[in-house]
Amino acid sequence: MKDNSFGSLCPLFCGLHNKNLSTRERYRCMRNSMLIAMLAITLIPMAIISGINFVQYRQLLQNESYANARWSAESARATINAYLEKMEAAITVVLDSYTFEDLTDQQQLDQIFRRLKEEHQGLVDIGVIGSDGIQITYAGPYKLVGKNYNDSIWFHKALTRKIYVSEVFTGFRNFPHFVVAASKKGSASSQDSWVLRASIDSETLDHFLASVNTGALEDIFLVNDSNKLQSSSRYHGTVLEDFKLGNKPKQNDILISGEGSNGSFYRAVSRIPHTPWFLVLDHQGYAKRGDWHSFKRGLMLTLISCSLVLGCIIIWLSAFIAGKLREADEMREAMLSETEHTDKLASIGRLAAGVAHEINNPLAIIGEKAGLMQDLLEMDRDFRYREKFIDQLDSLQNAVGRARTITHRLLGFARRMETSLTLVHLNDIIREVISFLEKEAAYHNIHILLQLQKELPVIRADHGQLQQVLLNVINNAIDAISNAMVTTNNAMEAINNEGEIHITSSCDDNKTVMIAISDTGPGMSTETMKNIFEPFFTTKGNEEKKGTGLGLSITYGIVQKLGGKIEVNSEIGIGTTFIITFPVYSERSDGNGHN
Amino acid sequence: MDTIKILIVDDETEFGSTLAERLELRGFAAKAVSGAEEALTVLTSDWRPQVVLLDLMMPGIDGLTTLDLIKKHDPRIQVIILTGHGSTESGIIGMRRGLFDYLMKPVDIGELVSKIKEASTV
Repeated sequence: MKDNSFGSLCPLFCGLHNKNLSTRERYRCMRNSMLIAMLAITLIPMAIISGINFVQYRQLLQNESYANARWSAESARATINAYLEKMEAAITVVLDSYTFEDLTDQQQLDQIFRRLKEEHQGLVDIGVIGSDGIQITYAGPYKLVGKNYNDSIWFHKALTRKIYVSEVFTGFRNFPHFVVAASKKGSASSQDSWVLRASIDSETLDHFLASVNTGALEDIFLVNDSNKLQSSSRYHGTVLEDFKLGNKPKQNDILISGEGSNGSFYRAVSRIPHTPWFLVLDHQGYAKRGDWHSFKRGLMLTLISCSLVLGCIIIWLSAFIAGKLREADEMREAMLSETEHTDKLASIGRLAAGVAHEINNPLAIIGEKAGLMQDLLEMDRDFRYREKFIDQLDSLQNAVGRARTITHRLLGFARRMETSLTLVHLNDIIREVISFLEKEAAYHNIHILLQLQKELPVIRADHGQLQQVLLNVINNAIDAISNAMVTTNNAMEAINNEGEIHITSSCDDNKTVMIAISDTGPGMSTETMKNIFEPFFTTKGNEEKKGTGLGLSITYGIVQKLGGKIEVNSEIGIGTTFIITFPVYSERSDGNGHN
Repeated sequence: MDTIKILIVDDETEFGSTLAERLELRGFAAKAVSGAEEALTVLTSDWRPQVVLLDLMMPGIDGLTTLDLIKKHDPRIQVIILTGHGSTESGIIGMRRGLFDYLMKPVDIGELVSKIKEASTV
């Protein structure tokens, strides 16, 4: 019969039908396939969901880091801008409030310088430079009167613009600074154009940039178009060192890009208006954030713990399901085997009945012919060979009688006999049967030991048939033990040998009554056990007790007819046990005695 | 006491004739026929049997139908089925139709004689 249990489920279970594998291997293959399938079904979606969660949360943090970088850059730019505007305003006010003559007066310039220095942090000095680039007056710590700035780019740019902020450079002072310079047209009697210049220490820029630094900032500094640092950087060096800035934003844009490995920081670059500077701000990326690490830890922990728990459950579940399937298959195979056995017996029964019918007629003719010959011989007392003929005919009649017994038993097996069902107490029947057999058992030195459960529930069965069943089985047990004793070589051993037959009755579940008949005979092989209920199968080779091979097959038929079951367990050298069960009678039972 | 007349109806003519001979040796008057038609011919003749030994499986009219015909002809005639093809069901059906008894071939002559005597006294 084709096994359809799993074949249609999935090619994964192909191993189950692989005939080259043993049953154990096939079920192991199925269990493993089921394990893999279930793990894939549960773990892959979980991994996908975790992945999506990971990406979404990272995106959220990235966006937040972007926004923070932009906000910090804007803030820093505004701070620098405000300072420069203030400085520019101060210079412009001085330029507008004082004449060239006023400012070229050293005392007056010193006074103005002192006032400006009080208000403006980082101011180093101020000076007035004529259109020829020569510094006319100077207020500050250095001696720079008469210095020529005609070669300085900032001077020429200052002349062409109303106000100008220079790059950071070292100049005559030999320390990094930048200038805020404004120019003014002079009167016809004096210089054509002159410049008021204020020098500011570049550390002032560091100071302002430091003021916008927050915990999330990695670095903040200024760089000019020529890729020279204009302020100190935490990671890229001090003022006027080289720093290559990549993409530069146009106008007032803020350019933000992810830098560093795995999003360790974001770089915001912004031009500071009206200056040659770019503000560069490195903002801490999501990868360095504590909440990102705790999120990753939590996610991994959840993933691993869920995987472990699911894995354990799935391993247990697949083993459990495979076990249950195996049990169900084995049970089905056992049932199939039992059905096949029953069908086989039924077929043999029908065949036996047919054979018996056909044999009965010629047997009857032989019997009648022999009988007639006997009758005639009885009348003729003078026949010379009369006695010899009578002996021969007696033998013939005996043979016919034996054949008749066999055919009638065969028919009995086939019909399973008509039953007359009554409520019977099994223990009573056991005792009745023992009373028939105890003498024979004693003759063979066999003890019959009873262990009968008190108040055993009644069953509905045919009294005579039950007697026949028990007689057949107990007789077989006596024969098995006595034959074993006879075949013992040692005579003394044979005399001392004792056999035992244990008969127990019980009812454990209130649904079935069980009788177990165990003997201490030689036991039988598995092959013998397989055929024991088949008609004409006999192990009694002894001429005196040669069996017809029908006893147990008739017993089997009767037990089946009464709704019971008969099983045999045997082990060579230990003995044989027949277990017969019948359903307990209850008022709800049907007419056949079946519950 | 009158001789008991027995009619044996069996398609196995060897069996029927031999049994008839044996019964005659035991003081019965016996005739053997091979089928239902012949049996009815005998029944309608002057020779009226008290007991009929009837086979069950016969070609043409079977045993149970023959039983019905015999009982219809004369209900007083006792019929004993003697067959090698016996089944309990056919025995029960026969009993319901007035069968006296049901015996399986091969039968012991002593048992058969006692059944015939039993049937003839009914």
